[in-house]
Amino acid sequence: MSAELPLIMIKDVNYSYPNGTIALKDINLNLYRGELIGIMGKNGAGKTTLIRTLNGLIRPTQGEIYVNNKNINTATIATLSKKVGIIFQNASHQLFANTVEDEIKFSLKSFNLSKEESQMRTNQILHQFNLEKYRERSPLNLSGGESKKLAIASIFCRDPDILIFDEPTLGQDAREIEFFIRLIEKERENDKTIIIITHNIEFAFEFIPRTILMADGKIIADGPTQKVLNCEELIEKSSLILPQSRQFSLALQALGFQNTDTLFSKAEVTKYLMQFIKNSSGSAQKR
Amino acid sequence: MSLEFLNAFKFMKKDSFLHNLDPRAKLFLAIVYTITALLFNQIIPLFLIFLSLIPLVIIGKIFRQWVKSIRGLSFLVIFMIVLNTLFISLSFAIAMILRIFIMVSAFSIFFLTVDPNSLALSLISMKLPYEFAFSFSLAFRFVPTIAKEAQNIIDAQQSRGYEMQAKGIINQIKNLFPLLIPLIICSIKRAFNVAEALESRAFGSKKERSYYYTIKYTIKDWIFTFYLVLFLTAFIIIKIQFNIMPEFFLWGLPV
Repeated sequence: MSAELPLIMIKDVNYSYPNGTIALKDINLNLYRGELIGIMGKNGAGKTTLIRTLNGLIRPTQGEIYVNNKNINTATIATLSKKVGIIFQNASHQLFANTVEDEIKFSLKSFNLSKEESQMRTNQILHQFNLEKYRERSPLNLSGGESKKLAIASIFCRDPDILIFDEPTLGQDAREIEFFIRLIEKERENDKTIIIITHNIEFAFEFIPRTILMADGKIIADGPTQKVLNCEELIEKSSLILPQSRQFSLALQALGFQNTDTLFSKAEVTKYLMQFIKNSSGSAQKR
Repeated sequence: MSLEFLNAFKFMKKDSFLHNLDPRAKLFLAIVYTITALLFNQIIPLFLIFLSLIPLVIIGKIFRQWVKSIRGLSFLVIFMIVLNTLFISLSFAIAMILRIFIMVSAFSIFFLTVDPNSLALSLISMKLPYEFAFSFSLAFRFVPTIAKEAQNIIDAQQSRGYEMQAKGIINQIKNLFPLLIPLIICSIKRAFNVAEALESRAFGSKKERSYYYTIKYTIKDWIFTFYLVLFLTAFIIIKIQFNIMPEFFLWGLPV
């Protein structure tokens, strides 16, 4: 991966809010094409500020950001939003059109597409998100989950190379989370870079291969999710809790079970327990 | 586009002469300055009124926030200069800008130094029903929240290609819909949530209320009120006797 040129290169980025609050401190980061990255950390750690610098919504007070090897410090938000799509936490912050169909078309407006092309892309995206039946409905009358879907669809239709989600699983039911997981898996197959800000440790542990932990505007860890989220010291620093599987393996260890310190994932814990049950029932039968 | 300037109206707890004054005295200040600003159309008296606000801003330790509130008016200032200069005169434009600066500064001082809770108390002491006083202080408390929400809406729309600038007045008005509709919807939703939260805590169930904090008009407040009355009287006299005032009072830019 290191031989490949990063799609996003963040070099010594610092950012302070106008009131003097330091939000980002010496951020250095390389993100590659096709990667799925999670950004975690407690509230106020600088996660949202960091993603806002990626499409020019805020400009770093120091340092440089490169997207596709081009410095974006002077690029307009309109240009950057074609490459970097951010799906914000609150869907109702962007829905305003008369119908669901118009909402998608509004997102396509800046591409200057012909009427036919715009209609075709709208149809495609409504089909992909199972929103065809709501085509004529007002976006304001959709349920929470459907509104979120529409907000995601309105960014997906712009086909950006980089997709950033701010708390995508918040307020979503199990089916909606499943739909979202399938969606990101498909986008990864299309070589998109996906960044997810989340507090949902189980979701991150199961589905995100690389995790960046932030605290007080700094990156305190960056590496494979299983390694980062199983480190008690880092978890403590970022006000998170250990994943359930790790908590369970530690509980087993406390009860005197042997060789549990290598159990991290749900699969490993399950395999260990299955083996234990098998062995215990075997020895009981022998007795 | 940043709505940071709306923070210039957000109360900040500080220990200063102005902060320690009774909210009613500060409300009187805002009213007195608004009246005096409306009395004149000439640059010099308006400039003097404006100057008299600066010591208050310094005493209140709110200089930086006050500058922000003035800076937030830059778009309106350009608009006023262009329209007034085109249709009336540059002197009139400057006078009107000063008038706006005085009014915004006076209310900025009020909002920056009055705690929303004591504002409700002062309104109640002015015999306003508690429900109205509470609604007013609640509206006042939500200004920075709405500003933050508006900024989030702008960011969300810009992330899908929305451009703030549009050519022509009609397009500019149309361009506001993607911002205004979500902002209104979110505000209405929040209002319902607040109403439900209040009702679930039995708001308005008893006519008579007791208060944890009480406010009192102290000697310091009376002295300040006396100063304001003098100030208002002096400018009313200047207005009435305007034709016998020194000539520089009528100064204006050559047309």
